[in-house]
Amino acid sequence: MLSEYLPIAILAALALLFAVGSLVASGLLRPHRPTPVKLSAYECGNDPVRLPRGERFSIRFYVVAMLFIIFDIETIFLFPWAVAARELALFGLIEIAVFIALVFVAYVYVWKKGGLDWAGGSLTPIEAEAASEAPGPREEVGIRAG
Amino acid sequence: MRTPIAWFVMLSGILFALGSLGVLIRRNALLIFMSVELQLNAVNLALVAFARMHNALDGQVLAFFSMVVAAAEVVVGLAIIVAVYRRRQTVDVDDARELRW
Amino acid sequence: MTPDLDLVPFVPELVLVAAAIVGLLYEALARGPRYPVHLAVALAGIVVASGATLALWRYGGDPTVLAGAIATDRLAVLARLTVLGAAFCGLLLGTHAIERDPAAARGEFFPLLLFATTGMTLIVAAADLIVVFLALEVLSLSLYVLTGLPGRRAASEASLKYFLLGAFSSAFFLYGVAMVYGATGTTRIPEIANALVGRTGEQGLALLAAALLLIGLGFKVSAAPFHMWTPDVYQGAPTSVTAFMSAATKVAAFAALIRVFDVGLQALRWDWTPLVAALAAVSVVLGSVLAIAQADVKRMLAYSSVAHAGFILTGLTASNADGIGASLFYLIAYSAMTIGSFAVVGVTTTRGEDRTDLDAYRGLYRRDPHLAAAMALFLVSLAGVPPTAGFIAKVGVFGAAIGAGYVWLALLGVLASVAAAYVYLRVIVLMFMVEPEEALVSDPAPLPRIAIAIGAAIVLVLGLFPGLVTDLVRSAAVLRW
Repeated sequence: MLSEYLPIAILAALALLFAVGSLVASGLLRPHRPTPVKLSAYECGNDPVRLPRGERFSIRFYVVAMLFIIFDIETIFLFPWAVAARELALFGLIEIAVFIALVFVAYVYVWKKGGLDWAGGSLTPIEAEAASEAPGPREEVGIRAG
Repeated sequence: MRTPIAWFVMLSGILFALGSLGVLIRRNALLIFMSVELQLNAVNLALVAFARMHNALDGQVLAFFSMVVAAAEVVVGLAIIVAVYRRRQTVDVDDARELRW
Repeated sequence: MTPDLDLVPFVPELVLVAAAIVGLLYEALARGPRYPVHLAVALAGIVVASGATLALWRYGGDPTVLAGAIATDRLAVLARLTVLGAAFCGLLLGTHAIERDPAAARGEFFPLLLFATTGMTLIVAAADLIVVFLALEVLSLSLYVLTGLPGRRAASEASLKYFLLGAFSSAFFLYGVAMVYGATGTTRIPEIANALVGRTGEQGLALLAAALLLIGLGFKVSAAPFHMWTPDVYQGAPTSVTAFMSAATKVAAFAALIRVFDVGLQALRWDWTPLVAALAAVSVVLGSVLAIAQADVKRMLAYSSVAHAGFILTGLTASNADGIGASLFYLIAYSAMTIGSFAVVGVTTTRGEDRTDLDAYRGLYRRDPHLAAAMALFLVSLAGVPPTAGFIAKVGVFGAAIGAGYVWLALLGVLASVAAAYVYLRVIVLMFMVEPEEALVSDPAPLPRIAIAIGAAIVLVLGLFPGLVTDLVRSAAVLRW
């Protein structure tokens, strides 16, 4: 039974060998003349402004992620319906239409409440409230990465 | 060779216990919440395993519902955690001591 | 293939959801002052749903409909009516809170309250564990948000604590559902009962399931030792929300507990009644003792709610129609007392800053005799003194426990009641016998006074003429399946 896994093990060994081998070979062969410019972090050809340590994500990513999760997971119920759509016929169609209509209500609510607005436009009521209360500049409104 | 159902149930029990432990010992609200998610996924594993044992689909249907509920919980939970963070710039539950007797 | 659809027993939930969705869309699309329309929509939803529920009292169809998802018995009807009554009062209190402080007001209060009510009316009628779980989550998620809706520090902290512990308990409940499914191969409560009845030998999985389900529901009814969230959430949440959830959540979760344990796990009752008795004992003692130490009236009422969860569990140790009936009566009486007392708290806290410390009640009688009299009535009833509903309710649950052989539990309950009476009497003394130290004025708003009057009327009527509802409760305690 173990022999079934032998090809995978060989492949893994080969991949590891290749990766380590290339790194070691290039390290031994290449000339080694460091300058401050070469050692600095590469940032689109510009001088790096600051190190990315302690960076904060904008709170907007969290809002988008939440909305994505909730609408994404709703599609779970479409799959069983799709499989049995023919047997369920008109009844199933009506049921799934009701379901989608309910999700649509949530969508309208999110849209009108400004949950879908990204930067540029005016702040959503929720964000404006947060910005007015959070100490420090607006960039501080967020959760620290990691 | 079919893996015995009991193994799945045991794995789910271990995952559920790990999740419970995480809830009890973690102090960061986000990590507590992730532990709860681990518990819910342990439940899903048990449900699917039992569905196979009974040769019925009810367990899988229940797992679907549990996934959707977990997603809804994620959204509400993250919203609450973000709201709390905006108030006090921390999500450590030990700092939540406004309400004490 | 069209499944057999009898939607009649499901109409209350459909009406409530429809009203909630109308409210949600209105909140999203309308401009300008909105609260009158919100209130009208929500009240209409609750009144129509109550009418539809009343019509179900004489429902003659199958014990369960919609593929075994919804039970049609009278337990569902009576518990739904209690929940809807609590929602009605919560709506009045919430509207008053919004009128008082329009800046902090959120129109989402109304749809969220309706969604929570839907979850509660659904869970009391749910005959399938999947539906029980879904309803539990609908009501819990709505309540987490309602708790944190004002966005104040205390409210958002209460919301976080409620959410983390609530999600934790939901996971236990769901694991219990999975274990029941593993043990019996079904999630329909009547079929679970049938599968367990004839079985001998290994019951490990089913017993594990019973323990997990009891933990999950124990959190929701705030029975000790699963009560840790209760004082924080009751104190931090807006008082209108506290009033609503202290009554309605208890009714909903206890009705679900009755259906899951007294129908589904009836065959295991010799195994789970000692657990329920232990929970009851810990709850009455811990709730009564810790209430004494509180200086904040909302926390005091929260610990009292833990103790009352214990008294209701005392009735459920009987695991028969007597016990269920006594517990149902207790739930109705407790709903009236707790909503009434939190409504008084809501009125007393007005005038700018929140005053929920006991000192705010000094000399309340001089400032507002009606309010003080109503509060005294609720507190006397919470203490279980005749001639109030609380007394009749306590007699009922203790009688049921003694009938089931739990004499020690009934004795413990009586002792705890005596200890807890000190807590309530202390507030009454403050209200009637101490001079007010500041010139505080209580809020003369009419809406909360309607809720207070309803609560007081129920407490008095149930205390003086319990016979009016005993027949209803008795017929609701007979579970059809």
